[in-house]
Amino acid sequence: MSSNVIVEVRNLHKVYPSGTHALKGVSLNVYEGEFLVVIGLSGSGKTTLLKCINRLEEPTAGTVKFLGKDITHIKGKELREVRTHIGMVFQQFNLIKRMNVLSNVLAGKLGYMKTLPSIMGNFPPQCIQEAMKNLDIVGIKEYAYERADKLSGGQQQRVAIARSLMQSPKLLLADEPVASLDPATSNSIMQYFEKVNKELGVTVVCNLHFLSLVRRYATRVIALKSGEIVFEGLPHEIDEAWFKKIYGEEAEEVEIR
Amino acid sequence: MLDPELEIHPKEKILRKRKNQEKINLIKAILLDIFFVFYAILVLQRAIYYKVILDLRELPFSWAEVILILIISAAIGIIWGYSRTSLGTRIMGLGKETKSARLISEIFAWTLFNLTFIAGWLVTKISLIDLFSKEGIEGANRIFHALFTPEFGIFDDALFAIIETIYLALIATLLSIPPTLILSFLTARNLMKDHWYTFMIYYALRIILNFVRSIEPLIWAIIFSVWVGIGPYAGMIALLVHTIAANAKLYSEAIESIEEGPVDAIEATGANKLQVIWYAVVPQIVLPFLSFTIYRWDINVRMATVIGLVGGGGIGTMLMQYQGLAQWHEVGLIVIMIAFVVWIMDYISAKIRESIY
Ligand SMILES: Nc1ncnc2c1ncn2[C@@H]1O[C@H](COP(=O)(O)OP(=O)(O)OP(=O)(O)O)[C@@H](O)[C@H]1O
Ligand SMILES: [Mg+2]
Repeated sequence: MSSNVIVEVRNLHKVYPSGTHALKGVSLNVYEGEFLVVIGLSGSGKTTLLKCINRLEEPTAGTVKFLGKDITHIKGKELREVRTHIGMVFQQFNLIKRMNVLSNVLAGKLGYMKTLPSIMGNFPPQCIQEAMKNLDIVGIKEYAYERADKLSGGQQQRVAIARSLMQSPKLLLADEPVASLDPATSNSIMQYFEKVNKELGVTVVCNLHFLSLVRRYATRVIALKSGEIVFEGLPHEIDEAWFKKIYGEEAEEVEIR
Repeated sequence: MLDPELEIHPKEKILRKRKNQEKINLIKAILLDIFFVFYAILVLQRAIYYKVILDLRELPFSWAEVILILIISAAIGIIWGYSRTSLGTRIMGLGKETKSARLISEIFAWTLFNLTFIAGWLVTKISLIDLFSKEGIEGANRIFHALFTPEFGIFDDALFAIIETIYLALIATLLSIPPTLILSFLTARNLMKDHWYTFMIYYALRIILNFVRSIEPLIWAIIFSVWVGIGPYAGMIALLVHTIAANAKLYSEAIESIEEGPVDAIEATGANKLQVIWYAVVPQIVLPFLSFTIYRWDINVRMATVIGLVGGGGIGTMLMQYQGLAQWHEVGLIVIMIAFVVWIMDYISAKIRESIY
């Protein structure tokens, strides 16, 4: 791992207004081109960590650097510019339900557009071509004019991936992207992430629940436990003992193929 | 590499916050108690003692007396509140959890309710004798007979008047849409809470809108009929003003209850605030907005009728004229037409709202 650092997180703390101390001094590097998976129990702070990286949440203390630039406290235009380089995919897909698939994908370009034309829906032809190309990459070009909420969960998640690809992201954050999908669909969605990572060279940071998926797709793993990093290493290094340490003594591994 | 910023002690912070909150709540509880005691003494003195026991016609009034009562109630309220056995502390959730404390506050609450009921009875001068007197029943008979034998001679005048009312309501509703939209975004907490200055705007607008909304359209109509002259125009502006204030609240509540997920997703693409609103907020609220607006038109037709009574034009003004002349057959026709139109509007608006969902 001597390649370039794309994200550098140092001593990150997050305290929510409710008083929950969700991250307690997390430090990590994300290297260019890797497929980093974050695991941990529900409530361990995985979502919070991702949201602090693209600043959907404000870090309470510590620093976040993106491509060497300190982005912990940037605001306004500067923040939006940084965000255009960071795609994000969510567990609940978070599409605009009443819009069609193509418009949803085009929304990924908003950060690059002027306000007025984007609100009028005036996307330049090359944008639309790009959107169709990205829909093709995730294999749902033929659904371009369907309403987003008519699609199945797996298809909606593919739309969300296509939307993030519109940003030509350097980094893709995925927050439990397959947690509300069945095992077969989960696997096919993970393959799209792998494709984006390997073929398009996009660095991926992905929160996952199932270890079988972690072993299959991750190039490196970080485990969070109540807001602290308790494991950092390669997927095959997570043995029985580590597993119990991360998930608690009671836990037993379930197989998802 | 620890920096001083890391000295966060969330537990202590929360504890301190909770203590402060409790103090504020106790003050609120005591203020409530003072008010309750003050109210109880006043009602006892004026309604029960003066009116029932002494049977005075003219109630004596002096500020000195009121202030004396206020001072007494303040003293009682403070002591009672601190003992944590009062109604106020129970309402604020600070009351002692003993049986006697609970009993005391319950008895006091029951007393307040009964005092209010008795005072209310006296104020409205409820009298069964009036309701069932011979002349009374004869008068009612005459009117009801006239109402049920409507005079169709004024049908076309009434029809024009009622159409005027419907249009008046429609225009008020349509004109309300643009300002309501803007105001609803500015009074949606989730969109305005991020910066202190947007929060100030939010707060100021909320107060103004609450104030405007708390004044009934009827009163607005009186104000505007003085301002722009009696007629449909005054009625329309009165409805418009109230519709804006009422719907801005409904709209902004719809905005506050949207799914946050799409907002996160669009924000994450680097979109600016306007783009986020247009792409993530607006699609989620068009249907509720449409539905509220159509429903409001329906309400406005009814209100326009009432507003007409004070000179807001349309069928209400016509009703008022015939009522003033005691031409009850004509009044009967107008009432029937109003009932019919209201019923139709109700039906249509319900159907439209059903079909858009
Ligand atoms: N917006 C919020 N306000 C207050 N507390 C929050 C908020 N979001 C998360 N938390 C709290 O912070 C802690 C970490 O939450 P987070 O969502 O990061 O965990 P997670 O690892 O993503 O869990 P899950 O697997 O359930 O998604 C939890 O205790 C949670 O209750
Ligand atoms: Mg999560």
